[in-house]
Amino acid sequence: MSKYLDHSILEIHELLKSKQITPLTLVKEAFERIEEEASLNAFITLNKEAAIKEAKALENMEVDNVLFGIPIAVKDNITTKGLRTTCASKMLEQFVPVYDATVVEKLHDCHMIIIGKTNMDEFAMGSTSETSYFKAPHNPWDTERIAGGSSGGSAAAVAARLVPFALGSDTGGSIRQPSSYTGIVGMKPTYGRISRYGLIAFASSLDQIGPMSRNVYENALLLNILVGQDRHDLTSVAKDPEDFTRLLDNDVRGMKVAIPNYFVSDIVSDEIKEKIDEVVKFLKSQGVIVDYVDLPYLDKAVTLYQIIAMGEASSNLARFDGIRYGYAVEDPKDLEDLYCRSRQEGFGDEVKRRIMVGSYLLSGENAKVYYTKAQQIRDDICKSFEQCFKDYDLVIGPTTTTVAYHLNEGMDDPLKSFLDDVLVIPVNMAGLPGMNLPVGFSKEHMPIGLHIIGNYFEEAKMYQLARFLEKNLALDLNPKEGGK
Amino acid sequence: MSTYQKTIGIEVHCELKTNTKMFSSAKNGYGDSANCNLTLLDLGYPGTLPLINDYAVTLALRAALALHCEIHREMYFDRKNYFYPDLPKGYQITQAKTPIGINGYVEIEVDGKPKTIRIHDIHIEEDTAKSVHQGNHSYLDFNRAGVPLIEIVTEPDMNSSEEAMLYLEKLRSLLLYADVSDCKIEEGSMRCDVNVSISKDDTLGVRTETKNIGSIRNVGLAIESEALRQEKLLEEGIAIQEETRRYDDASKETVLMRVKEIGNDYRYFPEPDIPKLCLSEERIRKVQEQMPMLPDDRKARYQALGLSDLSSSKLIQNKPLSDYFNLFLEDDIDFVMLSNLLLGDISFYLNRTMKTLMDTTLTKERMLSLLQHLYDQTITTKNVKDLLEEFLETDKDIDTICKEKGIQNISDTTLLSTIIKNIIEQNPESVKDYQQGRDRAIKYLMGQVMKETKGSANPSLARDLLEEELKKQ
Repeated sequence: MSKYLDHSILEIHELLKSKQITPLTLVKEAFERIEEEASLNAFITLNKEAAIKEAKALENMEVDNVLFGIPIAVKDNITTKGLRTTCASKMLEQFVPVYDATVVEKLHDCHMIIIGKTNMDEFAMGSTSETSYFKAPHNPWDTERIAGGSSGGSAAAVAARLVPFALGSDTGGSIRQPSSYTGIVGMKPTYGRISRYGLIAFASSLDQIGPMSRNVYENALLLNILVGQDRHDLTSVAKDPEDFTRLLDNDVRGMKVAIPNYFVSDIVSDEIKEKIDEVVKFLKSQGVIVDYVDLPYLDKAVTLYQIIAMGEASSNLARFDGIRYGYAVEDPKDLEDLYCRSRQEGFGDEVKRRIMVGSYLLSGENAKVYYTKAQQIRDDICKSFEQCFKDYDLVIGPTTTTVAYHLNEGMDDPLKSFLDDVLVIPVNMAGLPGMNLPVGFSKEHMPIGLHIIGNYFEEAKMYQLARFLEKNLALDLNPKEGGK
Repeated sequence: MSTYQKTIGIEVHCELKTNTKMFSSAKNGYGDSANCNLTLLDLGYPGTLPLINDYAVTLALRAALALHCEIHREMYFDRKNYFYPDLPKGYQITQAKTPIGINGYVEIEVDGKPKTIRIHDIHIEEDTAKSVHQGNHSYLDFNRAGVPLIEIVTEPDMNSSEEAMLYLEKLRSLLLYADVSDCKIEEGSMRCDVNVSISKDDTLGVRTETKNIGSIRNVGLAIESEALRQEKLLEEGIAIQEETRRYDDASKETVLMRVKEIGNDYRYFPEPDIPKLCLSEERIRKVQEQMPMLPDDRKARYQALGLSDLSSSKLIQNKPLSDYFNLFLEDDIDFVMLSNLLLGDISFYLNRTMKTLMDTTLTKERMLSLLQHLYDQTITTKNVKDLLEEFLETDKDIDTICKEKGIQNISDTTLLSTIIKNIIEQNPESVKDYQQGRDRAIKYLMGQVMKETKGSANPSLARDLLEEELKKQ
């Protein structure tokens, strides 16, 4: 089997340009790898026929950009025209969208090739991808373990080197946490950076699409083409075009970094804390100023998240009523029966739990007690970060409190999945950009991730620090080769 | 006479006159084939996001200003969540917390006395799809889904069906003149919900809501019938229930639709897909400046130009005529003559042919020429009746039409004198009456002159000649 997909994107680009390989070579290799690693269950739907056709069509075209002909996987909550998009739910098992999400159009514009739709938690609700109607994906580092969630399939696919890139979505850590569990680079950009048009909504005020990749440079390359204001999304923000790779080789000496004490408190496992300590020591030795700070309200973020995300979700998922698309029971007695049974049978337990809790939280006077109050404290979290960014360039900490745990371990505790995300959720609450960078391994040889948080629209600066660490740590992050 | 006092509040939904929908680029069109005017958003398709129709916001702002509302400078939208097949997203986007306008008012005149109806708020929202039920099947037409609406909510300031109807007439005319809606109740572009309660003292009774009443007249009938129903119940010692009713045109009664459940729970929360909208002072000022002339201003202006109260009101009742009239406001013309023409022969022609002024060739220039001919007395108002059809349907000028039709205005003194002399000879009784000072005699004789000349006699000339001749007798 060819090994082109183990090469860097720049190397592949040169091979394509010099016609030593064609996009078809890459696409075929990707499908071979997926087949070989089928037990990872990273994909829900493969786009084999169309991908091969597209690859062939590219053969006579000029290789006009660095992402030309590169295979990519897309999380299954992002609409792809003519390609089934299930949200890992029985509700949308047969749903074939008639339009492409804005990000998918952008992938097409630079002739990237969509290989398939990746597994995830149902409607992105979960942190292990175990709520998927199509069963959980597995972690390539230890297939007995979770790949994290909700973008678990995207993370597993990139980590196992099935594809060099994947798109994920992050509502409360869903890009960063699985990236940490599987040892890849995952970026949740600033809210509004990337159009949400075509992202099937979970919690609209938190959802953000982002790139997942094997390394920092390639992550920045993909982000370059995903961003931009979209006339289909009023929450997308107009910004001057920028090259996110521009600061990668800059020195980090003198950079000021804050670590909130909460991020290294008792909620974090010892071996992760030790790894973060090592990183901090290294950074200090390289002239980076690192201070431990108190960031108020961080500990409230999970509660706020539950209120806001579930409230919004209960409303966003109301449209799945069995009338216009999606799962509908046959021969309903009446309208009420059509609604009740279609939703009862079409949604899984976690989704129903969140819809019920969300409906309760918005109900009558509760809206004031919970939702309005949560929004107020959310503002306080924003202010707290704003204050911190007056003095610091970046905020860092661990991405997760533990390394990836075993499948089925947390299934009986509905709160566990939220607590897994306790370190990543505050970033969504504030709408800030956050990313995961692999910085080492646990004793059981599972990846440990560093969480880097930037000020609004300062993704380039985050990449700068990440690239500096990546270069110096020089980890082997291919699970096949053992990872040292 | 009932000892109960009625208290009435009214909610009006009005479709805005936009080209496209409130949150999508689909056409806003009434009467098109079912499910033609829609985008994926209007079907609540997964992954779609709402946009904002800026012109709809301008129209809503204009309506709010026309109703003297305070404007929310910083507003956002809310989601109203409920399940119904005509609601594709499972929620309606509306403004629950920051309606575009609050604390406004509408002035009406009840038995010659002014009364103020306070407006609680006016807010922007989207219309639902339309369900059509046939036998065992229900069909959905999404053309209406997402059409921009404003909802105008009054305080409970009305105490009779007359006041309610006067308020609705006034509101309708305000919205028509502000050019924000075509306010066609029969097509559903204006819909009225009425809250009625009755009480013997100052405390408010339990109210019922009668929804979607099909005409202003029926609003009056519904209020009367609902108040009567409530009175009967109270007299029998039965408490009124808070409920939603509808007006049945056939039985002329209100009919129960559903009893309101405790705490109707729409789970409102701010729409996260639409950022806060800020209305700048400049934008508000601009909309105020560009406000079309509203009915009360028009009436004052018309009366200042010499039109009677009745003519002014009649003109204002017909917006196209009033708008046409306004084209001449800066001209030096006989406005009473213009109004008489518009309300008289021209309205008669338009009604008979089911046309609008737009369908005729009556440009401003042609109207000015018609007025000039009348003013010069080169034609008579009788002539107008004969030449009008041709004048409104072709581009021919008045002189050409007169020539072709043989219409002439006899201003020839000798010819007229001869005719008058003949008439006097044939009507000795009337001459006697005249000599005895009876006024109607001269009217009768003038009539004879006009009859003889087929209406072509120059009236003032003929009258002068007739009086001259009579004095000689």
